[in-house]
Amino acid sequence: MRFTWLFVLAALVAAGGPAAAQISVTPVRNLAFGPVIVGVPTQIGPSHPVRSGQLRLTVPLNSRVRFRFTLPNRLDGPAGARLPISFSNTDGIAVGNAPNSVPEVFNPKATQVFQTVTSSTIDVFIGGTVSPAGNQQQGNYTGTITFTVTIL
Amino acid sequence: MRATVLSAVLAAGFSFGAATLEAQNSATIQATATVLSAVTVAAGSNLDFGNVTPGVNKTIGIADAGAGRFDVTKAATEGVTLSFTLPTDLTSGANNLPIGSWTGGWNTSATPAGATTFTPSAGGTNTAATAGTAITVYVGATVSPAAAQVAGSYTGDVTMSVVYY
Repeated sequence: MRFTWLFVLAALVAAGGPAAAQISVTPVRNLAFGPVIVGVPTQIGPSHPVRSGQLRLTVPLNSRVRFRFTLPNRLDGPAGARLPISFSNTDGIAVGNAPNSVPEVFNPKATQVFQTVTSSTIDVFIGGTVSPAGNQQQGNYTGTITFTVTIL
Repeated sequence: MRATVLSAVLAAGFSFGAATLEAQNSATIQATATVLSAVTVAAGSNLDFGNVTPGVNKTIGIADAGAGRFDVTKAATEGVTLSFTLPTDLTSGANNLPIGSWTGGWNTSATPAGATTFTPSAGGTNTAATAGTAITVYVGATVSPAAAQVAGSYTGDVTMSVVYY
């Protein structure tokens, strides 16, 4: 009996290694709002050519994939100052690398499930809006956006 | 002891099994922003050609007494873009006085001496990032009255817009 369990364990380990290696998620660029003015909300759309956030995922063709963002609701700044950040239902865009791939707008606040058909590499872009208060502390603010992909 | 070891092996086996069914990966990026004070621009002095003679061009340089001046207040260390809406004629009723050959200079001190020169345009001019919060902008141009220019007082609006770049 004991040898049976050990054999099962060895099989699971052998199967688990290659599957995990089939997913690659790479950060490409930050969601960079750049200079924002106190009291003036600033929106960066997901199609902005340089300021939108971008990640690239590579998965096998014909995979059923789930991805989700973990999004901040504030950015942290100097001396504990906080800058509100929000995301709309259209602040996400996914584009495959196949020539016939059509950009898909999605809600980055919701979990997405899709099937890869013609593209194994997919670029995911994210935008957002920061809303500095009229008396917002000046300085640099940052927050972390986490992108998680799961092959189902 | 034997029971303990076996239990540990089973737990590890289920954990790896989960990885096989749902391979997962994640990555992070940063959301970044730099909050700045509002940039402001104030009209300092008009571009004043004074009296001009019909048929004789008159030029006011950025260091001349009649140069136009704008005063910009901005966040320290940040550069700004200066954009202009410029007239092609000054007007006096239905009469036009051509104006052109625009010149510009910006400085972090309130003097045209040592100013960085540029050509004012709608396309905009980036000023280099500076440590100061003030930029003074000087504007000059040339008016070209015709020989038969109708006498009168001619005016036109020179508009400068400033944004962070």
